[in-house]
Amino acid sequence: MTDTTLDNTVPAARTSPFPLKKAAALGALLLALLAAPIAIGDQFISHIFITIFIFAGLSTAWNIVGGYAGQLSLGHAIFYGIGAYAGVMLMNMGISPWLGMFAGAAVSVVVAVAISYPCFRLRGPFFSLATIAFLEVFRVLALHLREFTGGATGLMIPLKFGWEWMVFRDRTPALLIAFGLLVVALAVAWWIRSHRLGFYLVATRERQSAAQAAGVNTVKVRLIAVSASAALTAFIGTFHAMYLTFIEPAAMFSLTMSIQIAMFALIGGLGTVIGPLVGALFLVPLSELARGWLGAQALGLHGFVYGVVLVLVVLFMPNGLMGILSRYLGNATPQRGTQSASVAATPRAAERPPIGNDILIADHLDKHFAGLHVTNDVSFSLKEGEILGLIGPNGAGKTTVFNMLSGFLKPDSGSVKVRTEDGSWQAPLTPGDFAAIGVGRTFQIVQPFAAMTVEENIMVGAFHRYRDVNDAREAARETAFRMGLGPWLHAEARGLTIGGLKRLEVARVMAMKPRILLLDEVMAGINQTDVRRAIDLMLSIRDSGVSIIAIEHVMQAVMSLSDRVVVLNSGQIIAEGKPQNVVRDPHVIEAYLGKEFTHAQA
Amino acid sequence: MDTFLQVLASGLMLGALFAIVSIGLTLIFGIVKVVNFAHGEFLMIGMYLVYLITAKLGLHPLVTVVAVAPLLFLVGVATQRFIIQPLMSARDDHIQIFATVGLSTALINLALLIFGADIANTPPGGLRMPIQIGPVRVLLGQMIILLASAALVVGLRMFLQRTQTGRAIRAVAQNRAAAQLMGINVNRIYMLTFGIGAACVGFAAAMVAPLYPTSPTIGTYFVLTAFVVVVLGGLGSIGGAFAGAMIIGLIDSFAGFYIGSDLREVAVFGVFLLILILKPSGLFSERLNLSHVSP
Amino acid sequence: MLRLEGIHAGYGATTILHGISLNVQAGEVVTIVGANGAGKTTTLRTVAGLIKPTAGRITFEGRDITRLPAHEVVDLGITLIPEGRQLFADMTVHENLLMGAYRAEARAKQKDTLDQVLSLFPRVRERLSQSAGSLSGGEQQMVAIARGMMARPRLLMFDEPSLGLAPIIVQQVFDVIDTIVRTGATVLIVEQNVFHTLKAADRGYVLENGEIVLSDSSDALLTNDHVRQAYLGI
Repeated sequence: MTDTTLDNTVPAARTSPFPLKKAAALGALLLALLAAPIAIGDQFISHIFITIFIFAGLSTAWNIVGGYAGQLSLGHAIFYGIGAYAGVMLMNMGISPWLGMFAGAAVSVVVAVAISYPCFRLRGPFFSLATIAFLEVFRVLALHLREFTGGATGLMIPLKFGWEWMVFRDRTPALLIAFGLLVVALAVAWWIRSHRLGFYLVATRERQSAAQAAGVNTVKVRLIAVSASAALTAFIGTFHAMYLTFIEPAAMFSLTMSIQIAMFALIGGLGTVIGPLVGALFLVPLSELARGWLGAQALGLHGFVYGVVLVLVVLFMPNGLMGILSRYLGNATPQRGTQSASVAATPRAAERPPIGNDILIADHLDKHFAGLHVTNDVSFSLKEGEILGLIGPNGAGKTTVFNMLSGFLKPDSGSVKVRTEDGSWQAPLTPGDFAAIGVGRTFQIVQPFAAMTVEENIMVGAFHRYRDVNDAREAARETAFRMGLGPWLHAEARGLTIGGLKRLEVARVMAMKPRILLLDEVMAGINQTDVRRAIDLMLSIRDSGVSIIAIEHVMQAVMSLSDRVVVLNSGQIIAEGKPQNVVRDPHVIEAYLGKEFTHAQA
Repeated sequence: MDTFLQVLASGLMLGALFAIVSIGLTLIFGIVKVVNFAHGEFLMIGMYLVYLITAKLGLHPLVTVVAVAPLLFLVGVATQRFIIQPLMSARDDHIQIFATVGLSTALINLALLIFGADIANTPPGGLRMPIQIGPVRVLLGQMIILLASAALVVGLRMFLQRTQTGRAIRAVAQNRAAAQLMGINVNRIYMLTFGIGAACVGFAAAMVAPLYPTSPTIGTYFVLTAFVVVVLGGLGSIGGAFAGAMIIGLIDSFAGFYIGSDLREVAVFGVFLLILILKPSGLFSERLNLSHVSP
Repeated sequence: MLRLEGIHAGYGATTILHGISLNVQAGEVVTIVGANGAGKTTTLRTVAGLIKPTAGRITFEGRDITRLPAHEVVDLGITLIPEGRQLFADMTVHENLLMGAYRAEARAKQKDTLDQVLSLFPRVRERLSQSAGSLSGGEQQMVAIARGMMARPRLLMFDEPSLGLAPIIVQQVFDVIDTIVRTGATVLIVEQNVFHTLKAADRGYVLENGEIVLSDSSDALLTNDHVRQAYLGI
């Protein structure tokens, strides 16, 4: 057995997630994209590039909501159209579109928040349907409010040329502006992804409950994402209106375009920063060229190709082109076999701190579900510095109690009180409240934030304590090494064995530096050697001053870990006390094995 | 008063139209639990098929049902087998959404390629003939749609309630794992259901084509309303879809008349959004099928 | 009749069974006991075809059924009465029973089987036209067992039939199981409630952390300390 980890020197941080090589490559690509049409000088080529930049920008902006946050909006053209109409309408009143852009963006943000907030609770396809419905409403309203929008006949911009009006005779300035907008969109997308907001968004998308338990305000972060996305989309809409010089409702509030910008992001790679750009680069020239060469005969051809490509991508490469690229560039996936070997024993302090006073009190908790009395007058307390085991046969209601101890369920009556660091008692209500007061919990069914590395998973917890990405990263690395996950910091979380995943779950919570830890069956499903190591780990956590409540079935663990044990059966507490005594209690034996069994043994 | 009755009658006729288009959708959604964004394109394919057959063979549009419904059945089975089934275990919702959206886009543009953007008009075969019922006037074709949609509802319910296969379909919808334990081949049931749902749309197409112009994008016009109907009526409830369709038809008709014909869509979608946000289980389902709301 | 050899199985990344081997002879009643999480339900679900083993072999009456999909396993005559009843809640009791007779062999004899089964379960007969979801836990368990029997199975498997039921009802359930056993059926029961199941069975296996640690006649197991150890760690 190799003891490689657990000296206290944590190896130096690896390079940041956007390493120099990648940034240089991207920069070179972008410069080439700008230089090529300027060098070629052909108007049609410039037009294609402008269209690429526009759609890449729109798609990048969409990806903030659709990719990072996972909310598949198929009505994003709402914001595009708002930007366009704001720009044109204000220009007709003599106001420069540069200002109109911001007016459009402001309106878009308001609309975005108003639409999204009630719709977030809708599951995937229905959220998409709702966005489509909203888009249709806007299109019809644009048609109807003729006095403002020109109705079906549309609106033309007054032909004023120059930088002030964003309208030019030559295509080059438009090229520059479009490129600039794309760069802005990419910058915003990159910034979000590499800072706390991005982590929170992905965590919310992957596993909302775990994110909430980590203290993430899942509604707020999504509203921020939606606002940023809407504003960017509106900017581009204003510019594009100037470029097209003529707008009308069907083209501005177009379902087809909404689908296209989502499509580019998927084909390029949802949730990556440059995926949408790659997708647009791949598909836009295809359609523009087809339209240019084949003309009217090609009507529908590019759309057909888009549709087919989309279906094929979904079926065969759901991670898009970026997914394929990153596989070639190599990502370390740990070999399953080697993991158990290097997880060393965790050294412990020679003495554990003494058990103190009550730190969490569950008071007469009661809960009914669909006519069943799942929790019946449950009262117990957790003392500071102790490990309390919560055991009971299948269906006894242990996880229900946990859910009430962490804000995921409200008890019908009774309360949960937690002692804060300064000694006062509070009754937290939501998962966020519990996280804020220092209660962390794991979940029985272990699922990592699949799209992230081990380090990033833990960072989601660390962000509860540290706003800055680098601080959070440092804290996550420390926690990873303490939990024995050091060697897998940069591996994809979903490649871990079940033992590793359970450790990761605990690591993420520990990175929040909780005072109280609720562990839900962390020993389940792991092999014997891992059980022993997990027991050592839990003891070291306890020694660091954390009070623990652990739901467990693995009796070996319960016996060696718990200071006290509470036994739950059919929603009621039937025994409480030292583990050796509880296990010999006839009521407990009866609950697990049946009354007649004990008699048969007698 | 006469005007009111006419608007009412138009609303009911419209409702029947929406019903006959939506029934297949609610069946698919209720059983397979997939939102098929390409549902409107199934209708569009059906309508083009009706057009082609009547144009080439000179048959009466209603007769084409004999060919169109089975053909659409096959389209439905193929969609389930080759597009939906491989994706059923996908953890992310967006995979399925994009797949059917992609299919929809591909089909619309395929139609554009083949038929062009021009409108194709199926010969009405006498179905545009107006019938006078008291103060109210409706088209013969509309009455047929009303009767057909009612018949479809009754027929489907009898199939689902009384036959072993129908029961198997309901079993799969209620508890997929338990259904497997009964010996039911779940994948085959999904294919059958998708096929039946698509065939219902084919059935609808034969009656809609004589009354409405066919174009590649005609599906988009109907599908959004179909989704509204399905959500309103409760996902998976066929009777609910019928009732929901009637309500939407009436809303559409009355909004069109009293508010303005260009705002009728706003009224319909406004109702949709209100339902989604306030009462997502729909107006008619007793059991909460909340598979479209996050816990 | 049924033989498992070296079966490894689990869910996704988790391996629950680490190479278990057991067998059930025709006409026998065999039980698997073990603590929660030991892998009892996983074992049954693997035999039923709901889970594909990653290694090992399952044979039934000489046929290799390791890779068969669940519905084909049912066709061969293996019926699982799942944990937690899993009735079709929106269907009537009668419809649930009819669904039980879905497999071809059972469908042909549907009417007769229904009569036989209902004579064993008079309370179920009373509730035929009631919606299954409206029944009490004990009644649902009876319907679930009746539904299982409608398939005229060669091997009948029970997954924790006493789960969530009051002790009096548990007694009734096991009385019914006794009756079934006396008809000469081949039965495999998985249970947390050790006493009843060991009384009903001929032989038992003790499962601990995904491995078989003990295999003996049920009478021997009733007095064996290891059983208590497996459940309570003492």
